[in-house]
Amino acid sequence: MARTVEFTDTEFMIAQGARLLEDGKTFFVGWGIPQVVAILAQKLYVPDVVQLFEFGAIGPQSILPFVRGTMGGPQNTYRSLQWLNMNWAFSYSAAGYMDYGMLGALQVDPYGNINSTFLGGTFEKPGRRFAGSGGGNQVASHCWRTIIIIKHEGRRFVPKLDFVTSPGYLSGPGARERAGLPKDTGPYRVVTSKALFGFDERTKEMTLLSVLRGASPDDVIREMAFRPRIAKEISEIAPPTEDELRLLREEIDPSRIIIRGERMTAPA
Amino acid sequence: MSRIRREGKVEYRFDHPDAFRAHVRDKKSRKPVDKLVDAKEAVSRFVNDGDYIVYDFSSLTRGPQALIREVIRQKKKELWIGAEFTLHESALLVGAGCASRIDVGFLGYGNYIGQAVCDGRVQVYEWTNGGLALRILAGARGVPFLPTRDLLGTDNLDVSAARVIQDPYTGMPVCLVPALNPDVAFLHVHQADVSGDARIFGTNLFALEAALASRRVIVSAEEIVEADEFRKDPMRTTIPYFLVDAVVHAPFGAYPGSMPARYEIDLEHVDRLNAIRNDEQMQRYLDENIYSVSGHEEFLDKRVGAARMKELRRRATIIEGYR
Repeated sequence: MARTVEFTDTEFMIAQGARLLEDGKTFFVGWGIPQVVAILAQKLYVPDVVQLFEFGAIGPQSILPFVRGTMGGPQNTYRSLQWLNMNWAFSYSAAGYMDYGMLGALQVDPYGNINSTFLGGTFEKPGRRFAGSGGGNQVASHCWRTIIIIKHEGRRFVPKLDFVTSPGYLSGPGARERAGLPKDTGPYRVVTSKALFGFDERTKEMTLLSVLRGASPDDVIREMAFRPRIAKEISEIAPPTEDELRLLREEIDPSRIIIRGERMTAPA
Repeated sequence: MSRIRREGKVEYRFDHPDAFRAHVRDKKSRKPVDKLVDAKEAVSRFVNDGDYIVYDFSSLTRGPQALIREVIRQKKKELWIGAEFTLHESALLVGAGCASRIDVGFLGYGNYIGQAVCDGRVQVYEWTNGGLALRILAGARGVPFLPTRDLLGTDNLDVSAARVIQDPYTGMPVCLVPALNPDVAFLHVHQADVSGDARIFGTNLFALEAALASRRVIVSAEEIVEADEFRKDPMRTTIPYFLVDAVVHAPFGAYPGSMPARYEIDLEHVDRLNAIRNDEQMQRYLDENIYSVSGHEEFLDKRVGAARMKELRRRATIIEGYR
């Protein structure tokens, strides 16, 4: 029988995210999963990536293990190049210095617009209320390439968002520029617990690029409330490697604060 | 005149810049006098029902929790808070009936505050973290607004009072956010002298901007130092004394959050806060930790305890960069 790897959906998203970053580039890090992506990527793949946090940490090298309950504390501002504040932190992104940004989302639509504010009902009377933008709106507005990380569930991939918290390509080609957002910016990839999406250059619609080894494009599309475009050739995403899992489980998040999740398997 | 292309229609706090300047001229003393008071006096003198309050930094790190608890103890009403990194204290302020409006920011987490929004017990407006920080910077610069290239194209525009106009220089649409001049700023700092010179070690949200932009400023400090310390090392001054109205000596003033290089977060206590789901649990927490003690000192003494504080100090092992 073929060997299989066991991992959680979160571990898979984190590993995928870490593989997407480029060395020697800058990375605006959102709270939660993106923090762990940044640490794994820097340890394993991109030692010279520059992390930046909205609470004013420029170029920190987060200490291990990752701890929860810090937002600008010594653990995630550790060994920074510079300590500043929020207005300066967003100056780095607004001036064009941030290559990548990474954000979680409650819902995402075909143009990569993000909802992180509420689900169901209206703004005045929401069904369920969540944290809102935080700095996500600035990250998605300013960074050259925004990566969205989202669990692969049908209710999260919707034709129309309950609320547009952070901008993707809005209503399609040219819409960001028409709204006044910085030119040539926008969502770059959507990392899910089953697949990886990009955006069609011409139509700016979400496009399936790759699926987890052992899964089919149909498995992926079935769990979406809209039909994405499909790339001509769908590549395969390797499950988390031994190195990725060992680092995540033993060094980065041994108490499984972030990496816990639904169990998954894939052929090794 | 620039044409408004899109605008949010919700209520927002705004002062004419000249009204704020007149307040600074007439009401802010430039004298380096002793402003040391306890939290009770600072809050009763400088916080009124209906005030707009901002604070720095986050619930988990260097937040002015001793001052927030005192606001709750004094049962201030109808407060409007600017909540950038607000977690449990927004829930406490709403649960205690003190806050009725919140400019968000980041409104996390826990079910209590989420449910309060759904039930309409608190009115929220969405400015985003960057938008709120920029509003406070505008307030600090004495201008009526500042432009920014975010918020654009999103629904936040409709539930804030941001406005999109045509930029007179490029012709592009640009987003404007109105200046925010709060009634009160709470800043918890590492060191202060009795007249209000203050030092923060580590990063911050908008400590200096908030101190400049706010009508009244309350500083709570882990440690009170001599005024001459600031003159010896001016690069390290975060806030000069003449912006400050009251200084409170509050060791462990960020508890249950952490104070960088001084003490770590009390995760068990934070877990108890996050577990609050209904009014009964909220009342029990408020009774036990706030209403049943006379103030911050008694809270530390009777509810936290010396052993716990010693342990939290021991856990603050990262000191590089903080001094």
